[in-house]
Amino acid sequence: MTNPVLLIVVPLLLAFLSVALKNNKKQLLFIAAVFNVVGVFIIENGSYVIGGFRAPYGINLNLDAYSHLAVLVINILFLLIITMSNEKTKEFSTVLLVALAGLNGMLLTGDLFNLFVFLEIVSITGYILSTESKKYKYSFNYLILGTIGSGLYLFGLIILYAIFGSLNMADISFKMLSYDTGKLVVPIFLMFIGLAVEAKLIPFNGWVRGVYGNANSLIGSLFASVYAGTILFVFGRVFGQVLVLSEYLVAVFVAIGVITLIAGEVAAFSKNKIREILLFSSIAQSGLVALLFVTGLIFPTVLQLLNNIITKAVMFTIAGKISDDADTDEADKLKGIFANNKIIGVSFTVSALSLIGLPLFYGFYSKINLLLGLFSKINYFVAAFILLATIIEGAYFIRLLVKLWTPGEEGKESNIKFVTDRKVEFDFNKKVIAFMLSLIILLAGISPSLVKTNLFAMNKLLNEENPSYMFELKGGM
Amino acid sequence: MIQYVSIVLMLIGIYGLLIDRNIIKIIVALNIFEVGLNIFIVSVGFVSGGVAPILTSVNSNSALIYVDPLPQALVLTSIVIGLGTTALALAIARKMYNAYNSLDLDEIGGMDND
Repeated sequence: MTNPVLLIVVPLLLAFLSVALKNNKKQLLFIAAVFNVVGVFIIENGSYVIGGFRAPYGINLNLDAYSHLAVLVINILFLLIITMSNEKTKEFSTVLLVALAGLNGMLLTGDLFNLFVFLEIVSITGYILSTESKKYKYSFNYLILGTIGSGLYLFGLIILYAIFGSLNMADISFKMLSYDTGKLVVPIFLMFIGLAVEAKLIPFNGWVRGVYGNANSLIGSLFASVYAGTILFVFGRVFGQVLVLSEYLVAVFVAIGVITLIAGEVAAFSKNKIREILLFSSIAQSGLVALLFVTGLIFPTVLQLLNNIITKAVMFTIAGKISDDADTDEADKLKGIFANNKIIGVSFTVSALSLIGLPLFYGFYSKINLLLGLFSKINYFVAAFILLATIIEGAYFIRLLVKLWTPGEEGKESNIKFVTDRKVEFDFNKKVIAFMLSLIILLAGISPSLVKTNLFAMNKLLNEENPSYMFELKGGM
Repeated sequence: MIQYVSIVLMLIGIYGLLIDRNIIKIIVALNIFEVGLNIFIVSVGFVSGGVAPILTSVNSNSALIYVDPLPQALVLTSIVIGLGTTALALAIARKMYNAYNSLDLDEIGGMDND
């Protein structure tokens, strides 16, 4: 059995080495990313004790169907993103290596305090990456909000420890089943705030606009797909599987999710800059995923989360590259930019249409699954809000696509000679990987059974019939 | 009792974060918040009349009342993380001073003035 702790320690070791081997930093980052992608296919599900004390007394890593799928997707996306924005990784190689270790740690750990430590590691790398844009006040804002958030998470966690005497996820979960959950509102809500800051839920997302709105192709796509994906997978683990929520708390969390979803889509509708449209769409998607996890729908939510992070990786890379080269990302100044970059244009379009959830794209499969799940739970209000959000989403994405494809003024003749004179050169890596990802989205949309058989075959427990993954291992106890 | 003191400290920290406009004072307020949190964590493990959880020649009986050692280990981690965050915040504050020539958030300006 190969121990999944290697996914955490090898990037960390290479991060230390990269300080000494300054000239080969970039290669070390690439080696670590490839090692992790290969490693994900070798590791086997199970509970792994770290440090020699059995759970729940010691720390363990939980590799079950859910976290295995999460590390698979996150590591592959990380590799693809650093390959796509290859020219920008040199400066941040050490930070990215630490981030890779922290992200894997967050997904694998079976201990709530360990989760806090990895959350802080990932947040600190996030603060450092956000300084790339040289807009330090936004980084400072992010740092203050992130630190307060994780402080509140720790506060709630310590109250839970004082009540249950354990930090092991599965142990706490078992003990909560026989406890009056109505008395646990304060600690659970504090932990919720802690994760909601990083997961971008309203009203804890004041930092997002400054950080995402100024990010370049590498940092924007990392934040929007790898970081956001990890946080939401962890959110699903903690609030969907570990903590037992009372029905009042579920109602409050669903309300926060719905408000985030609608407000995010409306804000995106009112924007003109490509990155701002995408970042508000990311906020809305986070609200959607969080509220679905809280309602207990795991399988369709994971599908929707995959849809969000894969399409956002493509779209943020393209938007970041456009604004790096053309010095603007206002859609009105970039009319017809895709007419000269057809492959990139097609990839962006496929991603946008999949995010909306049009048939023939993968997004349709995830959205129909989550709507069916909501109907089976008789949750018609939430389903209605999701459909409303889809209409708004469709309106602004199609408006954006029309602007980026057709040169010339609206309502007048469209001719190739009206194409914006701002030049954007996409390199080979970006073209190939973006096109490959959009091809996967298309294939998965035409034949969803491919996703199920290939992606979920190794995770035989991750399916509709058996939505409980945590307890097959019992946290190693 | 000590729990209430630590919660008051945390609230003082949050109050400072909300009303101070000077970056250095905000970092100080953040530290007050973290100190309050750390005192709360240690207080969770407190047992009245308990001794340190180490077997010595004086306390050689495992049936004695010991305080809970785990929160002390947790608070050590938490302090180190707080130190790292503070160092990074001060580094960013220095960069901000170089970029905007001010440490006051009101003078630096908001979202729409860049």
